[in-house]
Amino acid sequence: MPEKWIYWLKELGQENSTIVGKKCANLGEMMKGGFNVPSGYALSVEAYKRFMNETEATERLLKYLVSFKADPNNVSDTLKYDKASQDIREMVESIKMPSDMEKTVKEYYLELCRIAGRENIYVATRSAGPVSHPGQYETYLNVSGSEDVVKNVTRVWSSTFNTRSIIARAKLGLPLHYDPIGVAVLTMVDAKAAGVMFTVNPVNGDESKVVIEGSFGLGEAVVSGNVTPDRYLVDKVTLEIEERVISDKGSEYAYNPKTKEMEYKELPPDQRKLPCLEDREILELTKISKKVETHFGCPQDIEYSISRSLPFPENIFLVQARPESVWGKKKKESVLGKKTGLELLFEKAFTPTKVKI
Amino acid sequence: MATERRFPFASEVKLPRELEGWEEMYAPQRLFSKDREEWDNNHIWFADKIHAPEPLYPLDDIFQEAWQIALSQNNTRVFCIPPAQGIAQRILGCYMYITPVEPPSQATIGEKAALFGKRVPYVFQNYDMLWGKWLQKFQALGKEMESLEVVKELVKYVPDDEVIPLVKGYTQSYDVIASFNILINMIFKSWQWHFEYLNLAYAAYLMFADAARKLFPGIKESTIGKMVAGADVAMFRPEEELCRLSRLAIAERPVANTLKKDIPAEEKIKELKSTEGGRKWLEELERVKDPWFSVSCGSGWFHYEGSWVNKMNVPFTYMQSYVQRLEKGETIERSLTAISEERERIVDEYRKLIKSEDDRKSFDDAFGIVRTIYRYAEDHIFWVEHWLHTIWFKKVREFGKLLADNKILKKVDDIFLFNRFEVPMLLEDLVTTWALGEGVPSRSKFWMEKAEKREKILEAARKWMAPPALGIPPEEIVEPFTIMLWGVTSAQIDEWIKGTGAEKDVTEIKGFASSAGVAEGPARVLKLLEDIVTLKEGEIMVAPTTNPSWAPVFTKIKAAVTDIGGLTSHAAIVSREYGLPSVTGTGVATSVIKTGDIIKVDGTTGIVIIVKRAKGK
Repeated sequence: MPEKWIYWLKELGQENSTIVGKKCANLGEMMKGGFNVPSGYALSVEAYKRFMNETEATERLLKYLVSFKADPNNVSDTLKYDKASQDIREMVESIKMPSDMEKTVKEYYLELCRIAGRENIYVATRSAGPVSHPGQYETYLNVSGSEDVVKNVTRVWSSTFNTRSIIARAKLGLPLHYDPIGVAVLTMVDAKAAGVMFTVNPVNGDESKVVIEGSFGLGEAVVSGNVTPDRYLVDKVTLEIEERVISDKGSEYAYNPKTKEMEYKELPPDQRKLPCLEDREILELTKISKKVETHFGCPQDIEYSISRSLPFPENIFLVQARPESVWGKKKKESVLGKKTGLELLFEKAFTPTKVKI
Repeated sequence: MATERRFPFASEVKLPRELEGWEEMYAPQRLFSKDREEWDNNHIWFADKIHAPEPLYPLDDIFQEAWQIALSQNNTRVFCIPPAQGIAQRILGCYMYITPVEPPSQATIGEKAALFGKRVPYVFQNYDMLWGKWLQKFQALGKEMESLEVVKELVKYVPDDEVIPLVKGYTQSYDVIASFNILINMIFKSWQWHFEYLNLAYAAYLMFADAARKLFPGIKESTIGKMVAGADVAMFRPEEELCRLSRLAIAERPVANTLKKDIPAEEKIKELKSTEGGRKWLEELERVKDPWFSVSCGSGWFHYEGSWVNKMNVPFTYMQSYVQRLEKGETIERSLTAISEERERIVDEYRKLIKSEDDRKSFDDAFGIVRTIYRYAEDHIFWVEHWLHTIWFKKVREFGKLLADNKILKKVDDIFLFNRFEVPMLLEDLVTTWALGEGVPSRSKFWMEKAEKREKILEAARKWMAPPALGIPPEEIVEPFTIMLWGVTSAQIDEWIKGTGAEKDVTEIKGFASSAGVAEGPARVLKLLEDIVTLKEGEIMVAPTTNPSWAPVFTKIKAAVTDIGGLTSHAAIVSREYGLPSVTGTGVATSVIKTGDIIKVDGTTGIVIIVKRAKGK
C-alpha cells in the first residue's frame, strides 16, 4: 500500500511536522486545540517525492544539471543561478501531476468548497517545510477552481528551485535537484485586516505583554514589512491596551479582480490612519494568543487574519503559530538574584531612589 | 552662557499687594529667610498641593509642622533609611513648599545602615503585633483628647468646694492655659505616631515595585498598585456604613421616604424621631457614628472642611442617592470580595508568568512583605487624619467659643487665624483680664482686627497663582517620599518649568497614568472641598488632590483628575478600587480646566484632553 500523502488539517498534530512540514503540523495542532484556523488540507513531503519521482521531473532535472557549473560563493554567478532557476521552474511547472494525485487534490478542494457551501472558493497554496525557512519558498494567494489549485501546488513545489533556495542548497553542499516540502491548501480569509502578534514584548522580553501588529488587507503586508503596521501593547493579566500606535499604513495587500493578481492597493487618504483593529478584536486576539502560548508551552509568534464577512468573534482566524525566535529560546535566569524579600528591601533602602532631573 | 534652568528664588517672587503682612501669620522658622538664603536657594521647592492645596490657616499649619518633624525623623533617626534624609518645609505667600534634603555623608550612611539592618527586619517580622498595639494606643489617645476638659465659662467666683475644706490653689486661668498646651501635645504625639510605620510601608512598596519591574520591564505602576492595595481597610468603612444604613432604610419604608426628601438633614432627623421605625434607625446611626462618621468631608487637614458628624447634610445626601439607587434595583456596595479576588487573580497570573523558580520565590517573599505592611499606609489615614482630626477640631472650637463668648474674638472659627504659638497669647489675655477683676480692658480690638486682616490676606492668597516650584532643581532627587507621594519626576518638573503662562490655550495636559481606562464627559472642578455638593452624576472630578474620604463621590463620577499626587496617592488608590480612569499629578488641572469643559481622561496614557471648552469661557 502506497504511503499516505494527503491529509485534512484536522488529522494532523505537532508530531507530524516531519511528514507534512511545520506549518501544516502546527495548524493541525491549533485546530485540535480548538483554535479557529481556516479549513484546509496538506500535501506531505511524500507528495513532493511522488511527483518528482513518478514523473519525468527528476530525470530531466538531473540531466539539465549535468552541464550546470556555478560557484554559490561567487556573487557574480548569481545570474547563472537565476537562469538555471528559471529553466528548472519552467520545466517543473510544465510537468503534469500523476493523475491519481491530481484527482485527489481536486477532490479535496471540492470538499472544501462543499464545506464552505460555495463553488470555486479562494484558497492559498503555501509551502510547509519540515525545517523552517521563513520566506524562502513561495505562497500563492487567491487561487480558485480545482485546475488552478493543482497548477499552484506544482508552483509551490517548483519554488524549491527559486534562485535563493538553489544557492542556499549549493552553499550547504546539498543536492540541487531535490528538496522535499509540504504544501498547505488553506481556505482564504477575506481579510479586512491581518497581521502578526507576539506573546512576549520583543523589545524587552516582557512576558506579561502581547504585542499585536496589524494592517488593512492581507497579512502579507505586515509580514513582508511593506507597510508600517498599527501596533498595540496589551497586558496579558489586566487585559488593558497599554499602548496603541496608529500608523499611516499607505496601502493594503488585496486581490484585484481585474488583473486576478494580489497587489498593493493605495488606501484613500482618510483611511490610511484609521486603526485597523477594533478594541474588542484586540482583546480577543490577546486572549487567543495567551491560549496558544499555553498550548505550545513557550512564547509564540502568531499570524492572524480577520474576516470581513463573518461576525465577531468568529471572524478571527489564526493562520500560523511558531515559537518566538529571540526571547523564546533564552534560558530564563533569575533576575532577582535569589534574594528574599528583606534582602530586596535592603538593596532598595541602600540604593538611593533617584529621579533624574 | 547657557540659560540657567531654574525656578524663581523665594525672594524674587512678587506677591500681590493684598498679601502684605502674611508673614506674621506663621512662626519665623516656617518662612524663607535672609539668614538661610543660600541653602534655600540651592534647593528645589515644590508647592505641596497634597497637604496644602490652599492658603494655610495659621492654626491648621500645626499638622504641617508636625509631619515635617515626624516623617523626617523616621528617615534620619529612627529606622535610619541609609541614604534618605528628611523633607523640609517653607511657607511663601500662605502656600507651603517642600524640599527633599540630599543624602548625608558616607560615614552617616554607614552608621545608619547598621541600625536599619537591625531595626527594620524586626518590624516586618512583628508587624501584626505592632499594628495591634498601635491601634490600641492611638484609640486611647483619641479618647483622651475627646475627654479633655475645656473651660466652658469663666466663673465669677470659684465655688466653695475649691476653697473649703482644702484650698485648690489654682483656678480656671491655669486650666485654660494648661488644657490648650495638653491639646497641642496630644496632636503632636498623634502625628509622631502617624508616621510610625509609614516610611517602612513606602519603602516596602518601592522595593516590591522595583522587583516587579525587573521581572516585567513593561509593568504599569497602576498594575503594581492594584496588586498591593487592600480592599478591607478602615477608610472604606464609613461608606460601607452608609450603604448598610441605606439598606436598613429600604427595609423600613417610611424611613426610606424621609431619607429621599429634599430637606436638610436636621429636618430628616426630626421626622425620623417621630416614628418607631425612624427611632430604631437613628439608634443604629448613633451606634456607628463613633468612629465611622468622624470622617472629614475633605482631607482632614483643614478646619473648614468639616466632618460628617458636624455636617450631617453630607452623609444624608449620599444616603438619599443610595436609597434612590436601591429602589431602582441597583447595587450600591462595592463588592470587597470581588476586589480582593481580582487582586489575587492579578498577582497569581503575574506570578505564573515568572519563569525562574528562584524568582518566583523572591517575588512571593517580596509580595508577602509589602502586603504585611502596606495596609498601614491605607489604615492610618482614617484614624489620624479623619477620626482624630475630627476630635481635634471639635476641641479647638471649644477654645474658640470661649474666646468668642468673652469677646476676645468675633467668631468661634477665628481661632484658626492664629498659629499655635499665638493662641496661648489670646488665652492668656483672656484669663489675665478675668483675673484682674472688673473694668479692665483686654486687647480684644487688636485681636479682632488682626483676625479680620488675616482673613482678607488669605482671601487674596486664594486668588493668587503661587509658582509650582522655587529654586534650583538638583540633577536628581533621592528622597523616596518625594518621588512616590508627590509624584515628582523630571518630566513633571519640565512641565512646571514650561510655566504657568498661556493656560487658556492649553488643550492637553499630562500626569500620571494612575488608573487605566478612558472616559469623556463634563468636568467638575472642585477647588474647595465643600463644592462636592454641586457634583452631578457622570461628571469628571477635577481636584487639587483627591482623598479616600470622598469615597461616595467615586460612585457618581466617571473619572478623576488631580493636580498633585503620585501613583500611590490616596486618589490613585481609590480610583483603581473603583475601576475609574484617573490621571494624577498634572500640576495644573484645576487651573487649566473649567467646570463644564468636556474633557477626555486617558488613565492608561496619563493624558487629559480638553475636547470642548464650556461656553462663555
